[in-house]
Amino acid sequence: MADIIEMHLKLLFDLDNLIDDMDEPTYKQIGFKIEDEASLVLIRKRNELLKKLPESLAQRYEILKKRYRQAIAPVESDFCLGCFQKLPTELQARSKDIIACPNCGRILYWRRK
Amino acid sequence: MNLASLLSKDRVNLSLKPGKKEDVIKDLVYSIKKGADAELIVSTLLKREELGSTGIGKGIAIPHCRSLAVEKLEIAIGRTAKPVNFNSIDKKPVSLIFLIIAPPQDPGNQYLITLGKIVQIAKEITKKNLIQKPKTEEEFITIINDIEKGLVKRK
Repeated sequence: MADIIEMHLKLLFDLDNLIDDMDEPTYKQIGFKIEDEASLVLIRKRNELLKKLPESLAQRYEILKKRYRQAIAPVESDFCLGCFQKLPTELQARSKDIIACPNCGRILYWRRK
Repeated sequence: MNLASLLSKDRVNLSLKPGKKEDVIKDLVYSIKKGADAELIVSTLLKREELGSTGIGKGIAIPHCRSLAVEKLEIAIGRTAKPVNFNSIDKKPVSLIFLIIAPPQDPGNQYLITLGKIVQIAKEITKKNLIQKPKTEEEFITIINDIEKGLVKRK
């Protein structure tokens, strides 16, 4: 995965989680101050990031987000943490590319050690 | 999840360098992660701050986010000798900062539960005027532990 694309993709994913959390009743109950129109600003920012991705990747990300809520799944001990299926070992060698989980289709993310 | 179990001495910094809000957030993040991972977390935390300050008033702030960069719930605490402007809810500067970062996948919603618990503990700390009391990192962890036990008993 090209570093700059990877960076945009990861930030987009983290922002989407932020947007989702703000809608959680548990989060609202905690009582942090949220400025009016805040989520609209955040949505605009995530859309700007989406435009910085190659079109096919952006489309794929949106489809996966719609389907699973979280489009990216970290990999831990060769397991996709989205569907908890074991990944073929040969995928590890391609961990720097943008790879989909062969089982659920989420974009896989190998944490750097 | 017991909060004190998530804390260790190296995650508590009672002499955090004062500076701008961005600087103190960055310093705390770097006690958890380094390099590109740390930069990703800092970017997300600052985006969160743009939505509204996480300064909850009475000298305490709780910056928080989820990030792909962490594998488990991570907490770091910092106290500055000189208060930092955080654009808090009561407009007062902060000197105690609880930083919480959670992984995106979070079975049982531990992140939001822990975040809520930290807010309660932070409020107890201000109520009992304990921000400046602990002299060592160990003392600070003990205070948090005691408050947490007290909160459990009250329920």
